[in-house]
Amino acid sequence: MSNFYLNRRALLGLALTSALPVGSVWAAGQPLPVVASFSILQDLTRQVGGDRVSVSALVGPDGDAHVFEPTPQQARQLQQAKVLVANGLDFEGWLPRLKKAAGFQGQEIVASQGIAVRSLPKGQGHDHGHDHGAGKEGHDHDHDHDHGHGHHHGPNDPHAWQDVKNAIVYVRNIAKGLAKADPANAAQYDKQATQYIARLTALDASLRQRFAALPAERRSVVSTHDAFGYFAQAYGLRFVPVRGLSTESEPSARDLAALVKQVREERIGAIFVENISDPRLLEQLARETGAAIGGRLYSDALSPDGGPASTYVDMVETNAATLLKALQAR
Amino acid sequence: MIAELLWQPFVDYGFMRRAFAGCLALSAGAAPLGTILLLRRMSLVGDAMSHAILPGAALGYLLFGLSLPAMTIGGLAAGLIVAMLSGVVTRYTALREDASFAGLYLISLALGVLLISLRGSNVDLLHVLFGSVLALDDPTLYLTATIASLSMLGLALVYRPLLMECLDPGFLRLQGPMGSISHALFMLLLVLNLVGGFHSLGTLMAVALVVLPAASARFWLRGVGLQMALSTAIAMAGSLLGLLLSYHAGIAASAAITLSLGCLYLLSLCLGRLGSVRAQRQRPANDSVSEPMGVSE
Amino acid sequence: MMQSVSGLAAAAVHGIDFELSNLGLGYGGKLALRGVSGQFAAGSITAIVGPNGGGKSTLLKGLLGQLAPMQGSLRCRYPRAALGYLAQACEVERDFPISVEDFVSMGLWAQTGALGAVSDAQRAQISMALATVGLQGWQPRWIAELSGGQFQRMRFARLWVQNPPVILLDEPFTGVDEPSIDVLLQLLQQWHTRGRTVLAVLHDREMVEAFFPQALALAGTQLAWGASADVLPSLAARAGARRRA
Repeated sequence: MSNFYLNRRALLGLALTSALPVGSVWAAGQPLPVVASFSILQDLTRQVGGDRVSVSALVGPDGDAHVFEPTPQQARQLQQAKVLVANGLDFEGWLPRLKKAAGFQGQEIVASQGIAVRSLPKGQGHDHGHDHGAGKEGHDHDHDHDHGHGHHHGPNDPHAWQDVKNAIVYVRNIAKGLAKADPANAAQYDKQATQYIARLTALDASLRQRFAALPAERRSVVSTHDAFGYFAQAYGLRFVPVRGLSTESEPSARDLAALVKQVREERIGAIFVENISDPRLLEQLARETGAAIGGRLYSDALSPDGGPASTYVDMVETNAATLLKALQAR
Repeated sequence: MIAELLWQPFVDYGFMRRAFAGCLALSAGAAPLGTILLLRRMSLVGDAMSHAILPGAALGYLLFGLSLPAMTIGGLAAGLIVAMLSGVVTRYTALREDASFAGLYLISLALGVLLISLRGSNVDLLHVLFGSVLALDDPTLYLTATIASLSMLGLALVYRPLLMECLDPGFLRLQGPMGSISHALFMLLLVLNLVGGFHSLGTLMAVALVVLPAASARFWLRGVGLQMALSTAIAMAGSLLGLLLSYHAGIAASAAITLSLGCLYLLSLCLGRLGSVRAQRQRPANDSVSEPMGVSE
Repeated sequence: MMQSVSGLAAAAVHGIDFELSNLGLGYGGKLALRGVSGQFAAGSITAIVGPNGGGKSTLLKGLLGQLAPMQGSLRCRYPRAALGYLAQACEVERDFPISVEDFVSMGLWAQTGALGAVSDAQRAQISMALATVGLQGWQPRWIAELSGGQFQRMRFARLWVQNPPVILLDEPFTGVDEPSIDVLLQLLQQWHTRGRTVLAVLHDREMVEAFFPQALALAGTQLAWGASADVLPSLAARAGARRRA
């Protein structure tokens, strides 16, 4: 009788201890919770982290990081995350406040660390202050969703990811950061990063080659948002930025007239609509100048799943194809 | 030189011509309504109504996208519902018209903000929902012109009872329901002009064109009909000035127009013939008849 | 028991403009006036007298159809819009930018409606009305320029132009200067001689004695209704009794 009793105890103890290895395997199997500030960084982080990480984005696909207002759920998400991937270069003006509000204790990766920063030419449209040019209704409604838009970008152009070579730096930074937060999987991160960087290198070379083939006088394009500075610099294009035709500020007749004049004089053939701006002004422009609306460029956000730009690589390819098509067609 | 300053911009650029055409149309429709608003002491209703319209336009956008008819009808419905409910509350509760309207338009505004936030995308929908004077396309232009015509027609129809209702509501009440009918029609016209104004010119300008020219005209002419005509003229002049200012000085268009209208208002306030700062100072010291401002001569 | 006021059906009763039967009127469920019975004959001129809060204005509102009877019944020979009424408290915007002529022309509403033009004949009517009240030549002036007495005269002129068969006046002479009162009393006489029915709520006993052959005394209920000579003493007696009590 006593033997059986002891045996039962022993059995119980065995059963319990056997849970330990299972438990630790299970714990080790939980993906690392990561929060990325916007969809492009989310994609890059996924590429590096694979199934070892679970990445959510604060500003989702088609979202505008300039007018972002976080929800309480997102603050909670950030609080529970171990790693935060942000762009830096003042792109996410709302982030410091959100981090503080959420009490984020984890590790922050600044993806743009180490790149050659491009400064914005004077007078270009990133002075998105709080005075929305569209006046009152902008004001009143911002007071309603009062989360501090803070879209002052400062003098630096934050859209570094548009140059694929910079994206490679991003990936390296992300890999390094993930490895630091989750050393157990460091080798895997490194491996996946290397694979992805190879892809990006090939992409970069392909772009250079294709754009180099364009004749010199066919490299100008109008875009509403000066988000393509790095792209232009890298691949030899000229993006004519239009001040005041973005979502935040209201245009003046002078700005619009200057743009019309320029488009007419330089015979720019294509105007590009962004996925975060008012299409009607651009239609007006196209109507006035006879230029074609060249299609959609993705600047600050990926498209939703199923769209043509749902990953970073797709986004770059799509943008390149759209641009080339418009520039070659003339 | 003058030509370059004044009309070259309109010759060179189609968008300037359209902007001006839109302003002319909206002036014709909105400015006379403003005169009535002022007479009925409802000047702030214009601005409040512009907020009340929001959920309707937002709903139209949510369901049908950037569709002019959908957003117009939605905005119209929302504005009218608020106006109607406000009347009901005034009649059956202790609240007066201003308080009942204030409560309702705030609720409406909040609903609008809620609806917009439901959409999920963080695009600032307000800039998409409401237009810019420089981006007038053909359908919007036609809409604005149609609204202006309807407005003038409607106002002609209810002009007399509207004035009577303002002047001596007790008298009109005895004669039948004409008073409340004309009031309802007036609110309809107001909402129509505001909704049309939003599409073409944005919220700021739509309300500015209703209130500022009418307030200016008050300082120059006394007769109601004359005030309406003058306020229309002032609205058009202000629009022209504002567009030119936006063109030459690079200021945002709707702000420029509103500022021009504001300057004209200040000028009238200081120098006008009737009841302005200058006129009040010139009044004889022993003027025994105490007249309220804006009326004495 | 709510009974609606019948309209032209009561015309069968010849020469009676209003027939009241144990009429009770009130606000928000509470009676302010009860037990009024009697008739206003066509062409009569009656003063309605009594202490403040006695229900005089309430009676007028009932006669106009603005208050539905809470008790009893009230029959009126004419449709509501045909009645002429001068309200007590002046809701009129004194400084509204409208000319005297336009104001008086409001009396022609029944004929012109919202869109009808005012014909020359009608303008002559307006002119005559203004002359009758001693405001000839004031047509183009703004109503803001009128004194209190003149303003009241202008309102009378509007009633004159409206030319209704029944005229109800609620304290028409309060705060009006003596000369204007004289003019307006003459106007009342003219209405009377033309066969119009006139009801006026008044406070001045001497005026009632001098100009109003019929009187109705109200103090929450009907005190007396008949010839002024009979009614006024009963009112005085009541007042005296209260003073003594």
